[in-house]
Amino acid sequence: MEYAIEVRDSAVLIRVDGRVDESTWEEFGAGLSDAIRQAREAKLENLVIDLSELEYMSSRGLRVLTVAKREGDEAGVTILLASPNEVMSEILAISRYDTLFTITYDAGSKR
Amino acid sequence: MLVRFWGTRGSLPVAPTAGIVRRKITQALLAADGRQFDSADEAEKFVDGELSFATGGTYGGATSCVELEAGNGSYFICDMGSGLRQFGLDSMRRNSAGHSKTYNFFLSHLHWDHIMGFPFFAPAFDPKAKIRIHAGHPDAEQALRRQQEEISFPVPFDWLRADIDFVQMTPGETCQVDGVAVETILQHHAHSSYGYRFSDADGRTAIYSTDSEHKPDNMASEAAFIDFFRNADLVVCDTMYSLADSVSMKEDWGHSSNLVAVDLCHQAQAKSLALFHHEPTYQDEDIQRMHDETIRYEELTRDGSALDVICAYDGLEVRL
Repeated sequence: MEYAIEVRDSAVLIRVDGRVDESTWEEFGAGLSDAIRQAREAKLENLVIDLSELEYMSSRGLRVLTVAKREGDEAGVTILLASPNEVMSEILAISRYDTLFTITYDAGSKR
Repeated sequence: MLVRFWGTRGSLPVAPTAGIVRRKITQALLAADGRQFDSADEAEKFVDGELSFATGGTYGGATSCVELEAGNGSYFICDMGSGLRQFGLDSMRRNSAGHSKTYNFFLSHLHWDHIMGFPFFAPAFDPKAKIRIHAGHPDAEQALRRQQEEISFPVPFDWLRADIDFVQMTPGETCQVDGVAVETILQHHAHSSYGYRFSDADGRTAIYSTDSEHKPDNMASEAAFIDFFRNADLVVCDTMYSLADSVSMKEDWGHSSNLVAVDLCHQAQAKSLALFHHEPTYQDEDIQRMHDETIRYEELTRDGSALDVICAYDGLEVRL
């Protein structure tokens, strides 16, 4: 799993690829915390997580999203999930996480 | 080892209404599309082969009770939910054919849905029956006596005629019970709950882990569960809620999700997972959908051997 954080004009974007599972969830969580911090410092309201290149995310990764959402709520940063690929769309539906997060299929418009 | 499910529903016993049965019959008739069946066998083949389980059957509505046939011939029973009544009657039939009258119970915890069957457990009135109740809780006896106090039930605990003992189990210690090695693990639930690992002389292992919450802010603690589930032939696991519900409106309600169960089993390299402790508001169609989705999630996230995902229902038998 690798991620890259980019501060754009309207939002912070974090791109993640590979797998977020039992061996990478802590690193992914640290990345999300860092991205939230950068959004807060840049006075940006949105953190967009680009899921288009993610191989899959297990329940560990999904629950990291929940922890990050709470962290974001306290910092005034809203987390948006962007461009999930077919596998991630299925996982978001099966987990019902599509009811917890706003999902956008146009990550570019949030950049 | 044979695992037999007598009660698989969570929290509260439920039963199908007349309307639900009517809908199943309607769906079956539509699926038959005018066909005629010359015998009951032929009709049953149609039910088994062409109807979904939710239409042609039911997951049942009795609360937690799971029997393990293992060891040296005594009974092994996890929890005393409302499914215990039917097990008790069936065991008396077996006893009349010479089965041992020793009953080894293992209690996950003491909430109503897990002990409500004991006042209706007929073998407890048999003076020749031996009942050993294993629990991690020191107050198991108090809970069972209290539910038979006059304000709640007409038959007091002291009227029971069987020889009843309470055995407190301790996490980290292995208990040898009639040819089966039993270990326990502390789980996160109101007033705590305990999971059990049963290993028989043939090397078969079954895990019973219900009413166990795995919270997002404490995921590092799951390593202990992965170790506990390690290489199990079957893991019976609390899968009451969707993952989203378990981390939002139903967080701290003490239950887990189908996705967490699959992940723990994958990491533990368990061979099969039984979805268990079904949400009582779910209809059969909802449980079947959850089963189908869990199979799909297992496929999507598999990184090794396939995990066989089965969905427990009242009456299911699984041979390990």
